[in-house]
Amino acid sequence: MTTTFDADGIVLEQVREHVWELPQEDGMRVPARVLASESLLEEISEDRTLEQLRNATHLPGITNYAVCMPDGHQGYGFPVGGVGAMDAENGCISPGAVGYDINCGVRMMKTNLTYDDVSGLERELVDALFEAVPSGLGGGGVVETGVDTVEQILERGVDWALEAGYAVEDDLLHCEDEGVRAGADASMVSQKAKDRGKNQVGSLGSGNHFLEVQRVTDVYDDAVAEAFGLERDQIVVLIHCGSRGLGHQTCNDYLRKIERQHGGLLDQLPDKELAAAPAGSQLAEEYYAAMNAAINYAWVNRQLIMHRTREVFADVFDRPWESMEMDLLYDVAHNIAKKEVHEVDGEDRELYVHRKGATRAFPAGHPNVPAAYRDVGQPVIIPGSMGAGSYVLRGGENSLDLTFGSTAHGAGRLMSRTQAKNEYWGEDVREELESGQGIYVKAQSGATVAEEAPGVYKDVDEVVRVSDELGIGDKVVRTFPVCNIKG
Amino acid sequence: MSYELRAHTADVAVAASGGTLEATVAAVADGLAAASCDEIPGVDADRVSGGDAGSDSSGDSGESDDRFTLEVRAESREALLFEYLDELIYLRDVRLELPVDNRVRTLERVDEDAGDESEGAGDEGALEEPASRDGHASDRWRLEADARGIPLATIDAREVKAVTYSEMRLEAVDDGWEAYVVFDV
Repeated sequence: MTTTFDADGIVLEQVREHVWELPQEDGMRVPARVLASESLLEEISEDRTLEQLRNATHLPGITNYAVCMPDGHQGYGFPVGGVGAMDAENGCISPGAVGYDINCGVRMMKTNLTYDDVSGLERELVDALFEAVPSGLGGGGVVETGVDTVEQILERGVDWALEAGYAVEDDLLHCEDEGVRAGADASMVSQKAKDRGKNQVGSLGSGNHFLEVQRVTDVYDDAVAEAFGLERDQIVVLIHCGSRGLGHQTCNDYLRKIERQHGGLLDQLPDKELAAAPAGSQLAEEYYAAMNAAINYAWVNRQLIMHRTREVFADVFDRPWESMEMDLLYDVAHNIAKKEVHEVDGEDRELYVHRKGATRAFPAGHPNVPAAYRDVGQPVIIPGSMGAGSYVLRGGENSLDLTFGSTAHGAGRLMSRTQAKNEYWGEDVREELESGQGIYVKAQSGATVAEEAPGVYKDVDEVVRVSDELGIGDKVVRTFPVCNIKG
Repeated sequence: MSYELRAHTADVAVAASGGTLEATVAAVADGLAAASCDEIPGVDADRVSGGDAGSDSSGDSGESDDRFTLEVRAESREALLFEYLDELIYLRDVRLELPVDNRVRTLERVDEDAGDESEGAGDEGALEEPASRDGHASDRWRLEADARGIPLATIDAREVKAVTYSEMRLEAVDDGWEAYVVFDV
C-alpha cells in the first residue's frame, strides 16, 4: 500500500524512503518531488512551499519533475530549496526561479591552524574581522570603484581579482568554472545595477549572510576528508554572501522586461514571480548573459572578503597568511541557472538547471568537477545556523538521477523573521552563544542576531542525514562555529 | 493610512491600507522602511521648515530638510507599485540613505493626449520624461513621490534586497485601498 502525506489537501505519495511525489494534475507539466524525512516534510508543509513547488511545475519545458531539497521552505514564486531543469531549446529560463541574490553562495577557506591556536584569541579575532570586512547596509566594500571596474569584474570574474592582487592562481583552480563564468556580458547588466554594485564589491550585506571561523569537530569519511585537506580540530573559515544590490537589481530588471515582452506566457503561470523568458528568445539570451555576469560579481565579492580575511589572520597571528596555508577548499553557488547536459530518457539533453537555495553536487568522475576533486566528487558546503554545526559533503552518486546533480544548501528557515524578533532578543542570543558554547558573535544589528537565532532554523543534522542517506550528498566532515560576524 | 509587517518564512511582507491609493502606496513604502530599521529617528526639529505635501516641491534640493523626490512610470497600477518600491531600494543603495516618511503626491493614469508625446517614437528608450527604467510607450501610469532620506551610517538598518511580485495585491475596498507586498530579505 502506498504511504501518503496529506498537507492540507496537497497529497504526496511516498516513492521510497525520503522521496515523496505530488502526482501530475491540472496545469502541471510534470510531477513534483520532495526529498525529505517525515519530520522535515512536516516542517516543509507548514508554509506555502508545496504550493510554490506545484506552481513551479507549470514552467514550460520543465523536465522529469520539480524537486524540493530537504531544507526547502517558502520563498517567492519558486520555493527556496527548489531545483527545476528546463529544456534549453524548447523550455524557458526564469529569473524568479534563480532568485534575487544571483550566485548567493558559500566558500570555505582552510588553514593549518588548530582550535588550540585560536583559543583565547576569539575576541581579538572577531573584533578584527568585524572591523575589516564590510557588512550591513551602506557599509561600503573592500574596494570602492567605478563602473569601468565593475564591468571588468562582471566579465572576468576572479581572473580580475587575480590581476588586481586579491587572489592567487590556486584560488581559481578551486572554484566552480575556475571563478570565471563564460558567456557573461556586462552590457546586459543595467546602469542602475552597476551603480548599486560599484560601492559594494567585497561586502557581506545583512540578513542570513555571515563570515564564520569554525573548527572541524567530526570526520565521517577519512579518505575524502584527506583529499579535501580537512582533519579534526582544524580551523576553517566560511563566507556566505552573494551579488549584493547588483544581482538584486539585475533580477528585477529582467522580471520587468519579461513582464513587458512575454506577458502571454506570464498569464499562463500561476504566480507572476515565476516570470520566464522562452528558451531561444532574445530576452532569454540577454538574461543568461546578465546572470552569468552577476555570478562573476558574486565570486569576486566572496574572493575579496576571503582576501581581507587572510590579511586579518596575518595580523592577528603575526605571520604571513601563506604560512597558515589559507587555501580555498571550494566555492558553491546557491542561486543560479546553468546550461548543463543531463541524461533524460536515455538521451543527453541540454537543460537550464535552476537551483534556488540548492547546491550543485556532482559526483566523482563528472567532467565538470574541478580536476583537484574529480576522483572523490565535488565539495558541497552546507552551513548550519550560528549555534549549530555546518557540514562539508561530497557530491553523491545518486545526485544526477534524483536531483539533476543537486543537494541542500543549508538548514532552511523554520520561523519568520518577525516571529524570531518576538521570541528572541539579540543581546541574549549573543551572550548565550558566547557563555554557553564558546561562540563569539559580532553583528551590525542586534535584530539580525535575533532573526538568525539558532532556533529559527531547521535541524541541519537531519537535513544532512537525509542528503547522505539518499546518496545525493555524502557527509565528509562536520564543523562548529568559533567566531561569527554578520551585518 | 497604516501598514503592518506580516510573518513570512524567509522574507518580510507588508500589508497596508489607506483612504486613497496614494496613501496606501506610501504606507507600503513606510512598511519597507520599517522592515529595514526598527527605530527610525524623527526629523530634527531645527532642520525642518514647511513640511506640508506640496510646499516643498523644490525636489532634490536638500534645502530645509533631507527630502528628495522621485518619479516612476509603468504600464499598470500594480507594475507602478513594483517600480516605485524598486526605485526606493535602488535610491537607498546609491544615495546611502534609507527613504522614510514617504509621501505619494500623484498617482495617476496619464490620459491618451498627455501620453501622445511619448507615443510617437514607440520603442523603448524613446521617452523624454524621466522614466523608472527603460521608458516604454505603454507606460500609462505615473507616480510622483518624495521621501526623507536618513544616512545609513547613522542608523541600525538591515538590508531588504528587493520587492517581489509574489502574492502582491493592490485592490479597492469599501473604504479605500489595500495592498500586500512580499520583500526579499
